[in-house]
Amino acid sequence: MRAPPLLRSLDDLRSMTAPALLLQRARTHPHVVAFRAKKRGVYIERSWAQYAALVAHTAKGLAALGLATGDRVAIMADACEEWPVADLAAQSLGAVVYGIYPTASAEEVEYQMRDGGAVAFIAEDQEYVDKILPLAERLPALRHVIVVDETALFALEHDKVTTFREMVDAGRDADHAWLEARVAQVKPEQAAFIVYTSGTTGHPKGALVSHGKHLAATRSVAAQYPTLNAKPHRTVAYLPLCHVLGRDIAVTLPLLTELVPHMGESVEDLPNTLFEVAPTVLFTVPRYLQKLASQVLVGISGTSGLKRVAYERAMAFAREHVKRRWTGSPSGATEAAQALWRALVFRPILNKIGFDKVELVVSGGAPLPAETMAFWHMLGVNVVEMYGQTETAGGIIAGQRGPFPRPGDVGTVPEGFEVKLADDGEILVRSADLFDGYWGNREASDAVFGGDGWMRTGDVGEWRDGKLKLVDRARDFLVTSGGKTISPSFIENILRASPFVGEAIVFGHGRKYLVALIEIDFDTVADWARTNDVPYTGFTSLAQNPRIEKLIRDDIDKANAQLARVEQIKAFRILPKVLDPEEEGEPVTPTRKVKRNQMYERFKPLVEAMYDDKEERLLAESATGVLA
Amino acid sequence: MSRLPRASGHFRTSYAQDFRLIQTPLERRWLAALLVALLTFPFIASPFLTDLASQALLAMVGAMALMLLTGFAGQVSLGHAGLLAAGAFTAGILFRETGAPFWMTLPAAALVGAFLGVVFGLPSLRLRGLYLAVSTLALHFLVAYVGGEYESKRGFSTGIVIDPPVIAGKAVTDPRAWYFILLTAAVLTLLVCLNLLRSRSGRAWAAIRANETVAEALGIGVAANKLLAFVISSMLTSLAGALFAYYRGFVSVEAFSLFLSIQYVAMIIIGGMGSVLGAILGAVFVTLFPYLIEAVMQLLPGAGAYAGVMFAVNYAAFGVVMILFLVLEPQGLVGIWRRVQTYFLLWPFKHKPVAGARR
Repeated sequence: MRAPPLLRSLDDLRSMTAPALLLQRARTHPHVVAFRAKKRGVYIERSWAQYAALVAHTAKGLAALGLATGDRVAIMADACEEWPVADLAAQSLGAVVYGIYPTASAEEVEYQMRDGGAVAFIAEDQEYVDKILPLAERLPALRHVIVVDETALFALEHDKVTTFREMVDAGRDADHAWLEARVAQVKPEQAAFIVYTSGTTGHPKGALVSHGKHLAATRSVAAQYPTLNAKPHRTVAYLPLCHVLGRDIAVTLPLLTELVPHMGESVEDLPNTLFEVAPTVLFTVPRYLQKLASQVLVGISGTSGLKRVAYERAMAFAREHVKRRWTGSPSGATEAAQALWRALVFRPILNKIGFDKVELVVSGGAPLPAETMAFWHMLGVNVVEMYGQTETAGGIIAGQRGPFPRPGDVGTVPEGFEVKLADDGEILVRSADLFDGYWGNREASDAVFGGDGWMRTGDVGEWRDGKLKLVDRARDFLVTSGGKTISPSFIENILRASPFVGEAIVFGHGRKYLVALIEIDFDTVADWARTNDVPYTGFTSLAQNPRIEKLIRDDIDKANAQLARVEQIKAFRILPKVLDPEEEGEPVTPTRKVKRNQMYERFKPLVEAMYDDKEERLLAESATGVLA
Repeated sequence: MSRLPRASGHFRTSYAQDFRLIQTPLERRWLAALLVALLTFPFIASPFLTDLASQALLAMVGAMALMLLTGFAGQVSLGHAGLLAAGAFTAGILFRETGAPFWMTLPAAALVGAFLGVVFGLPSLRLRGLYLAVSTLALHFLVAYVGGEYESKRGFSTGIVIDPPVIAGKAVTDPRAWYFILLTAAVLTLLVCLNLLRSRSGRAWAAIRANETVAEALGIGVAANKLLAFVISSMLTSLAGALFAYYRGFVSVEAFSLFLSIQYVAMIIIGGMGSVLGAILGAVFVTLFPYLIEAVMQLLPGAGAYAGVMFAVNYAAFGVVMILFLVLEPQGLVGIWRRVQTYFLLWPFKHKPVAGARR
């Protein structure tokens, strides 16, 4: 019994709001599980009817606090049950929601609170309360700080602080009818939420998105991946919801499709959550795929005997098999052999990380290195890449449909979006369902829309067999003193393919050669150190160990072998500390995108040192080979 | 008990699921296979092997009872043979004196066991370790004395003969029937043990074994729970003794020597302390061991010549095996089993991959 099909038409969605969709779902599928959130060891199941009731109570509670149409609400929390509930509740009142990265520094929080002008700040726990309270006096608009997890709050007396529980209790008498009446007053073309783009240059800009456009745009994801509507799917929601992708997964796609999000007890617990949930569909960013791949590789490097032989045989076969798969010509016999290797080797590997039931892994948010994608394809995980921007309001500009697409492009353009390339290769997008403009920043909005109806993405692309290929993101080129134009992100991606490299930043603008700063991946390097008897006390001692330097050097040499001469990394330094976005003035955004210029300023001596003695050192190096 | 599922994709939506005995479909399938194997065994095996299996099943009941007391509640007992004897004599005497059927003698044996459990549990409130062990020895001699007195005073100096139990109007004499009766007894004991261990008392015992003072500070009634462990363990043991009496059709004090107590202690040590599976494996091992030694001796040249010393060789080999287990594999057979299991569970990794290992 499914009266209207779950995935509605574009026009339908344009004239709807997310809370209205929720109410409809609560009517048509009241007892179907909407999401599961882990609390104290068990996954609490919420049906659509319960979900709607929670939203109604929260909405009435928020209304009682004086929240009105057009007011802004800021939420600072990891993916948790209260995020979508508070979000939809605020949207039901016509308020505008925006999320602040849980890893944002105090300065960043202040900027976004001031820029967005939120009247209410919903904090997941005391940690975020501590971040906001010192600023509270300086934020005239802020009237309420609402705390979800009140465990560490005892004896806190502050006239602005209320608990989420108290607020919900105040709205307990609200029912579906009450919510329906409120939602009916919200117009689809009204603003629904703001998403702050993690600008690698300057302050983040808030992209304003309206109700109907967001739903219609997000439909492109569902349309590109029809399996989402073919059967119920489990997924894990762990990406921050202040990011448009995180919001799609936890809030919007469940409303449009049969995707059931699962939220772990804590984001740090992700490996365990993945293992327990064994998602059938997973949306992720490349970083997690790289990290998981590194863990598998390092885990395998420590194995021995029969296990190693089995793994190596399986990988040798899979390497050939993915190539056949990409060209679309695997025979029945090789498919059978792959199935055998899957049963013997790959499935047990995937089981340990909770990937053995996954049918579709969609990577977005940043370019996915081809090696990483190929690795997962070898293990039999259907990883596809999609490309979207905050400005596309939750929709995607392109997405690989798969299964097992050849890495390198970002796939085809979905229904509802038009893409063309400017003369300089910049990707231009046209759609009825884009964002409304930057919050309080007319100039930037005009610059992006350019007056001709085509939105400038700032990314450079090209067409390849009808598929969009990203050449570079955000036109991040550097030109060496030899006049060669090089894409550092391309090289960084290759460097990051090493399991031991957490982050790589390439420099070389106006220089003779390229150099790199490397942040080691603490987990995998520490694991390697333990198995290879390298003593260390912490991150810094590990980063400065000569044997670790040798380890990284070997991997950089491997990467260099794949690169053209001018693109090769001639020197590198290992960062002595972890890049921590929560720290003031750290050259990474809360999503851990590196701000290249700030990075240079911060680690100038390290970078310059690589150019200083370089010539002598290169000479000495080549000489040692001769003399030894 | 809360162990993590062994395969991905098994999340719990309620606490009740945390306590399930069978967590994953794979476990269910293996269990079903084991059950089928156990049920078909007597129809495939020879009567000799069926009898051997019955002995092992009987030993399992006693071993699990002792494991409950020693392996989980941490109370050492050397009175196990005495308790078995108490059960056997209760059944024997009741049958001889009143002709009571087995469905009356078994509960009576359990009651006697419970009573003895209270009496001999009492010293455990004050005594620990070696001293407790010595005090439980007294139980052994007491029961042996009473049993011996009865035998000689009533003129059964060679032992009490018991008729086979009558079920549904038929006397049970067939080895296969006995196999199924003892299998049922073992399975029921297993379920009782597992259920106790995943409940309040099981957790209380674990706390007492770890540290009595801390357990008391946590609000656990140490005295009551210790006595409970003695009572339940003694009841189960006494029942096993009664079953033994019916199975053999004969009760004699000679069958319950101190060596029997040692054998049961050996079962739980060789099997692996603190594991119900260990008790089962240990019971099978210790039951089969003499036959194994005999089989090996038969293979040696001039086998006939050793026949006379077989008994001594058996004892010696038993001692050596005990020492080897204590030195080389303190975790017992269950430790070996877990290592084998881990090898395949981690396949193709050697250790847990980083993500899980951090936890």
